[in-house]
Amino acid sequence: MSLDRASCITCGDVAVTARVVSVSGDTATVEVDGRREQVGIELVSPVEPGEALLCHAGIALQKVDAE
Amino acid sequence: MRFLDEFRSGELARRLSREIGAQVEPGREVRIMEVCGGHTHAISKHGLEDLVPDEIDFLHGPGCPVCVIPMGRVDDAIFLAEQPGVTFATFGDMLRVPGGRGSLLQAKARGADVRMVYSPLDALELARRNPDRRVVFLAIGFETTAPATAVTLLRCREEGIGNFSVFCNHVTIGPPLRAILDSPGLRLDAFIAPGHVSTVIGTRTYDFIVRDYGRPVVVTAFEPLDILHAVVMVLCQLRDGRCEVENQYTRVVRRDGNPRAIAAIEETMELGETFEWRGLGWIERSGLRLRPEFANWNAETRFELPGNRVEDPKACQCGEVLVGAIKPWECKVFGTACTPERPIGTCMVSAEGACAAYYNYGRLALRA
Repeated sequence: MSLDRASCITCGDVAVTARVVSVSGDTATVEVDGRREQVGIELVSPVEPGEALLCHAGIALQKVDAE
Repeated sequence: MRFLDEFRSGELARRLSREIGAQVEPGREVRIMEVCGGHTHAISKHGLEDLVPDEIDFLHGPGCPVCVIPMGRVDDAIFLAEQPGVTFATFGDMLRVPGGRGSLLQAKARGADVRMVYSPLDALELARRNPDRRVVFLAIGFETTAPATAVTLLRCREEGIGNFSVFCNHVTIGPPLRAILDSPGLRLDAFIAPGHVSTVIGTRTYDFIVRDYGRPVVVTAFEPLDILHAVVMVLCQLRDGRCEVENQYTRVVRRDGNPRAIAAIEETMELGETFEWRGLGWIERSGLRLRPEFANWNAETRFELPGNRVEDPKACQCGEVLVGAIKPWECKVFGTACTPERPIGTCMVSAEGACAAYYNYGRLALRA
């Protein structure tokens, strides 16, 4: 995920929460602050558009609970 | 969507600050180590040290992957980047880390094909698009970043991509914490544990800290209110005489983490016998290497690396900073010979390094 460039990506700090826009196979298009990127979803699938994912280094690590 | 505003409310921060003040016993110092570089960065960026009483002392732990990489591994990376036909890819902060032979950025200036990527999947895409190049990805990071490398390796194998390999420098968070806890003369009351690493490996990873060392642990997210809330939770445990692993970051962290991410790491990587950490020395079973089944994609088997060990510069005190023995501004070269523009030590390179965090946010000496 390249959405927070002020930080160092090697650190888990850079993981960001993103909303799923669409899904195609093992890849989802997600949106943060109006920007769209693609992330691998092998580790959290199945996912649906509208769900929130914690994404880091190009993959989704976890689904985010709505609070 | 950012989900951030509610975690940066000044009013709520002041309320938590008052709660922390009420929990602290005047004159009794409480030393809390935040393990993760992301927490260190957030504490400096949001001025949290000014929101807690003098009795609270934040110690900055070893959880910045760039900061703990030894100089010899950087030299190995430069060696790989300078091999004929190699396109070398890694995360941006690694490019500036000084080794014994300069940095990857300097290797790039000498003509090496060095690329900055945001994901190992981007490096794999470079390999797909450039079949005549040998693409090497320098993998670095704790268990938060290792799943991305694992997924990349699994896709690589599935697609049969032969011109891609990984120089694996992934490390695990548990062993360095044990090494710190075993260090003589340690004065430490509790840990604030990293949220996103725990998303992958779960909170059970820290059970040994409460069981074997009697120190409370609170797993925490990275926003200022999260960290202040974690301090409150630590103080409540100390006040009540409890010693538990508590989870402040319930919105993504589960006790068992993400079992599929753990499985992906275990399918592609295994613990090596030992790994050298800057500042902590050699720690047994703390670094990940590719499994033999992935030897075709292992840069360390495909290339003959020099593997030289390089001593840190004498003036550099990153080692002491990394274990919380000194504050960044107590280092002899902090802010003078060593700055983010011209770093001597790794702690000044990464945005999450304690020295860079102190320098960038103006915390240049003991608070008034």
